[in-house]
Amino acid sequence: MNFLAPAAFAALALSIPVLVLYMLKSRRRVLEVPSIRLWSGEDQFVASAIPWQRLRITSLLVVQLLAIAVFALLLARPFFRQETLLGPHTVLVIDTSGSMAMGDRFEAARRSAFDLVADATDENLVSIVTAGPQPRVLAAFSRDPAALRSAVEGMAVTGGSDDMNGALRLARGLATPDRPTSLLILSDGGVTVPIDEPVRDARHLVFDDTGSNVAIAGFGSSPGEGDTRLFVEVVNHGEQPADVDVEFLVDGLPSRVETLRLDPLSAGRRVVRIDAGPGQVVTARLVHGGDALPLDDAASIVLEGGAGIAVSVLGEGSVFLEALLSSLPGVSPAVGVPPDLVVIDGASAATIDRPAWLIAPSSPPPGVTFAGRIENPVVTFQRPGEPILDGLDLSNLAIAEAQIVVAAEWLPLVRAGDVPLILLGEVSGRRVAYFTFDIARSNLPVEVTFPILGQRIMDWLGGGRAAVAGSAPAGTPIDLAPPAGTVPEVVLPDGSVQRLVEGARSFAATGTPGLYRVNYVAADGTRSPGPTAVRQFVAAESAGLTRPIGTVAPDFVVGDTGSLEREWFPWIIGTLLAVVAFEWWLAYGRPVPRRRAVAA
Amino acid sequence: MLLDSELRGRLDRLAVTTRRRVRGVWGGGHRSVRTGESLDFADYREYQPGDDFRRIDYNLWARLGSVLIRVFEAEEEAPVRVLVDASASMEFAGKFQTAQKMAAVVSYLSLASGERVRLATVPGPDRRSLVGPWGRHVAAWPQMEAWLEQLQPAGGTDLPGAARLVIGSGSLRGPAVMISDLLAAGWQRSVDLLGTGAGGVVVHVLAPQELNPDLTGDLTLRDVETREELAVSMDGRAVSRYRERLDSFIAEARARARRAGMDYVLVPAGPNAAEPAIKALIEAGAVR
Repeated sequence: MNFLAPAAFAALALSIPVLVLYMLKSRRRVLEVPSIRLWSGEDQFVASAIPWQRLRITSLLVVQLLAIAVFALLLARPFFRQETLLGPHTVLVIDTSGSMAMGDRFEAARRSAFDLVADATDENLVSIVTAGPQPRVLAAFSRDPAALRSAVEGMAVTGGSDDMNGALRLARGLATPDRPTSLLILSDGGVTVPIDEPVRDARHLVFDDTGSNVAIAGFGSSPGEGDTRLFVEVVNHGEQPADVDVEFLVDGLPSRVETLRLDPLSAGRRVVRIDAGPGQVVTARLVHGGDALPLDDAASIVLEGGAGIAVSVLGEGSVFLEALLSSLPGVSPAVGVPPDLVVIDGASAATIDRPAWLIAPSSPPPGVTFAGRIENPVVTFQRPGEPILDGLDLSNLAIAEAQIVVAAEWLPLVRAGDVPLILLGEVSGRRVAYFTFDIARSNLPVEVTFPILGQRIMDWLGGGRAAVAGSAPAGTPIDLAPPAGTVPEVVLPDGSVQRLVEGARSFAATGTPGLYRVNYVAADGTRSPGPTAVRQFVAAESAGLTRPIGTVAPDFVVGDTGSLEREWFPWIIGTLLAVVAFEWWLAYGRPVPRRRAVAA
Repeated sequence: MLLDSELRGRLDRLAVTTRRRVRGVWGGGHRSVRTGESLDFADYREYQPGDDFRRIDYNLWARLGSVLIRVFEAEEEAPVRVLVDASASMEFAGKFQTAQKMAAVVSYLSLASGERVRLATVPGPDRRSLVGPWGRHVAAWPQMEAWLEQLQPAGGTDLPGAARLVIGSGSLRGPAVMISDLLAAGWQRSVDLLGTGAGGVVVHVLAPQELNPDLTGDLTLRDVETREELAVSMDGRAVSRYRERLDSFIAEARARARRAGMDYVLVPAGPNAAEPAIKALIEAGAVR
């Protein structure tokens, strides 16, 4: 056993005064007697008792000497050396990609991380970076094993692919000049983008638990004639043939089951017709005896067209407008269906029968009159606090020509002097946004604010109607456009609800494959539907490939492992407390039979 | 049962003696402070109308010309009061059991010899005296025995209070029997007070361990009644000094009792203390 402060054994000298006290101590038994009258005056002879008495070894003395010995041992700070992978500063890069969900890989990595962070000390700082679809720093420069353990416990495997390169860059960014930094990569090695050069000052702990896996590799839909055609591709990554039932569910209710016979390492495809329409959620789920990677056994899609907004453009239109409408999620051309709203670009707006976005109409809508035209108007007013303009700067807006309109009942958002450039209003109870200038003759389409402004205009005109944010790989953030005064709330695939902060524009915790429904909650508790998004398991992860990542071990740790000086103080303190408690019990707590004398 | 039948048979043949006149209620075998009808001449006194003519001493009338009548002694029962020390100090080494036994002996033989008997405990600063009923015949013994048996030693001791209880209550006058270890303040005063009645006996009960202590080492002695503590270094000299004090204490108690007109009997506590105690009572003249 080694000691950090061996000089502290001098504390053993405390036993000397204890022994002296024991030798000087008058050990008088207390005896109850009928009367002390006949002993009166005897106390004057007590002074003649021998002050130094023969040391009697009692159990209490032994325990007290033991307590002193343990105390001295505690002060001497004994320690033992423990081998560890931790260096002065170690960044744990933990792979949370979908392949880590195979078998026991992720749990084994988590257990290893638990063991590693338990060794964190002032001399061995630990940082944690997750290598999921979006690399994140969970802990930085921490010496607190409890906090680090909590961070590891909060990790979850995703259905997405890893961004190992991003995670390594993030880990490198945590390097500190004052102490060497090493990386510990806890991964199966199945990185999406190969790492060309060996990672310096790093080690790769491989977690390669594997097993047979059957996965849904592709799932899509297309409108049919009164129904929907579904396309599903199932891959057998195992080395044994597999009979797999694919169950299709519409809005959670079973619809039909298809059986696929899959040869080893092969894929099977099936196209089925199903009675489902736009807006409904269709799920394909593998029904089999279970495999090593359950996360890829289900996939969902939202049939497009139902919850989105069908838009019809009246008038001349422009490439900018078309590009905008095609880029907005949940917005689709009204083909064969009546439009939910219209964009009137240069055409007459005399009749408004649905929400409309008016762009320099040839004739004004009811309630608005033309009063002339103005060239090169300069934006002088941007309505403060208006959600549609929140965070947007239109002061550089350059307009060739704008209509001068009189609209007393309308709300001007942007003005050039007294001339309104953008207005909001209602016609027969329908929302109307009015741009008094031709956007094709302005610089608005080339401003970064244009798509945001367009998205907000469409959301406002749509009255908060749900938009389908589409399908994307797990881990892809969901863009949000909450109306003013609302708080986004996301219903996760497991049914739990996560409420975001007011004004949140994005939701990034989409690592779990499945359906995400967004609601916008107003202050009075009313909910308006937001986008519905599907995050799919990345098919490439289903193979569960493992390979070593090339690393160059850090040179500041001798050999393959470092060592920690682990002190024994928790055990010694526990022993000391036990000894002190036992001493107290011996001195006061032990039941002592009452002794009575019979001398008067 | 405090007294077995054999012991009661022996006690039936014994009687309490008194050295002074008593004042009882009923006639008995002890000289009374009153005059009465016994055969023992006591005195003359002038004739008073109503006196019995048969008691007129005609010889003196003829010789002196005064009408005098003869007065005779009265003989009455002796009211015996038995005080039992039931303080905490009596709890040790069977002292209280011995005190109970001695109280039973004295009470029974008094009842058997036709005396009036009353039992009482010695009061303390923290408790009152328990006073039993008067008994005048052996038929009252079971009741008195039961009263004795229910006593439990506890609390302190007020021996002068016990003496005042005996001599100050009622017009009866008889011997008092105090059964105590006398290990309390004021015991001398109590003996003096008791002696002012019709005498009696002090039964001094001490444990054998009190008579011959065998303690060693450094001790803190704690008085069970007063809770006072005394540090003592016990060795041969200390024990020797204790014995000197004990002998002095016993001698003083004996002398104090005698001076007060009472008998003194030292009774070592123990299960067989009754026989030697009875013998000692007989030798002291308290019982015949």
